Amino acid sequence: MEAILDSLGGWLMRTDLGLGLLLVMGVSMSLSHVFALLANRLSARQILLRLLLDALILSLAFLLSSSIDMVLLSLYASNPVHPSAFIDGIAACLLPACFYVCVAAPYIGETIGFVIWVLMHLNVVTYVHVRFALPWEQALLLCTPGYLFAVLLVGLLFRQSWRRGYSMLASELGDP
Amino acid sequence: MNAPHAAASQRFNLRLLLLVLAIGLGLNFVGVGHLLLGLRRVLSPDDLTLLLRFSGVLLLVLIPAAGIYSLVNEFAFWEGWLEGLPRAEQLFSGHHASGSSHRCYVVYLDGIHQLERDHPPRVSQFLEVLEQQLRPDMLLVRGLETYTVMPVPLAEDAGSAWFWRRLFALQEHHPNLLVQLLAAIFVQANNVIKVGISSDRRYGPILNYELALKISLRLSEAGFRPDGVSRIALVGYSGGAEMAMGVADYLRRISRAPVSIISFCGVFSGNQVVNSVAGITTIVGTRDPVAAFGRIAYPGRLPLLPLSNWNKALARGAIDRREITGMNHNGSSGPFSEAFRLAVIQQITAALDAHAAAAPAQTGC
Repeated sequence: MEAILDSLGGWLMRTDLGLGLLLVMGVSMSLSHVFALLANRLSARQILLRLLLDALILSLAFLLSSSIDMVLLSLYASNPVHPSAFIDGIAACLLPACFYVCVAAPYIGETIGFVIWVLMHLNVVTYVHVRFALPWEQALLLCTPGYLFAVLLVGLLFRQSWRRGYSMLASELGDP
Repeated sequence: MNAPHAAASQRFNLRLLLLVLAIGLGLNFVGVGHLLLGLRRVLSPDDLTLLLRFSGVLLLVLIPAAGIYSLVNEFAFWEGWLEGLPRAEQLFSGHHASGSSHRCYVVYLDGIHQLERDHPPRVSQFLEVLEQQLRPDMLLVRGLETYTVMPVPLAEDAGSAWFWRRLFALQEHHPNLLVQLLAAIFVQANNVIKVGISSDRRYGPILNYELALKISLRLSEAGFRPDGVSRIALVGYSGGAEMAMGVADYLRRISRAPVSIISFCGVFSGNQVVNSVAGITTIVGTRDPVAAFGRIAYPGRLPLLPLSNWNKALARGAIDRREITGMNHNGSSGPFSEAFRLAVIQQITAALDAHAAAAPAQTGC
């Protein structure tokens, strides 16, 4: 147990940059839907808690998606990678998500979101292609499952929480 | 801001604006080219690429930031942080009969050029003629600030009054014409953002609901009562058409009266709920580039998305489209010009009659 904890501690220290970036991305994505929380008329404390929770879930989603990429690389491309180095590299590729807060902008927000998602995937594919000297097709194939997993998780969160917040007013208005 | 000053500010019509923007763009290209040549001497290509990327990122951040700031007011209302608008259920309570002889309330929603309650002179003249052409049982409700939620002008808006006052002062008194023009563009950009918010699926309901409350308050002051025989017609010009589409369903629910929409030179999305609207008429000019651009800017109106609210209404035959040959979006061949003013007013009154004839028992006008 002590050895496991030691290795986990060491890994966390080495990946602090990558993990920190993932957390920033989570916070940015979470903040982009702060108006949905406001529409629910939550208190400031509740909003802060929800923002933090959403940010952690989103960071976890990206961490899991990166882990899927890592496992697939090890299994199918026979490219063993050190987790801390990989997370650091992938987190840099996911940097466009730091601007996800701009998705809160009216009307152009959805387009910005779409562009950011496309950019992130292209960055990761390019990184895997360059770092592991894999052909483009193989890099795309190996990175897509993790990406789809992240899209699915964020989509679920959107459906369960944020969209409900946005439609709050319409349902509350009802028939006066 | 008084009427002559507003008149002066409105002299910058679209043609002048487009000309200045085209010249400005050309100058920018020349300037950027020279700047790059100069920078190339002191910076490496890699540094230049980095600089360009930083500029792009800055733009990516600044434009959404302006939009997000605009949302704050709407949500402040929704949260109840600001006073000013009544609750929907309190609006017409305690009023059983209006005592008014009017049966149709025609609400005019101006385009993005609107800066304050008073309309520009050309629009005022247009509305005076329209008022004369309306039947005696119709009342024109004008002077409604379409792009602010608060029932106060922008210059008195809580939180941003200092900014708007300075901008208006620059627009009216600055000796440099370019500064005046830039200030006017900033003011209109604020209205464009509001049109964007109205058409946004996430935030649109809140802005549209609040604007519907504001219109209801004004209608209440004008003598409207939900008596079962009165109806409301929203007449929107340019961006005002989007606001009309956005508020129509909420206004119908709040006022418990049939609501119809008449747009002229309208720029609007196809996202809004229009299936419960009593009638929709769009009056378009054959030489109107702005309204044509609106169809591209809002994919909901393109045939590519047949399930959009607008396209479904179109397929049902619920939309009456009327064309005016040779009419432009504004200027000397715009709807407020002497050349086309009467033609537009005739189409509006014909549409009002058509909407009334479609449901005579409901409308009473």
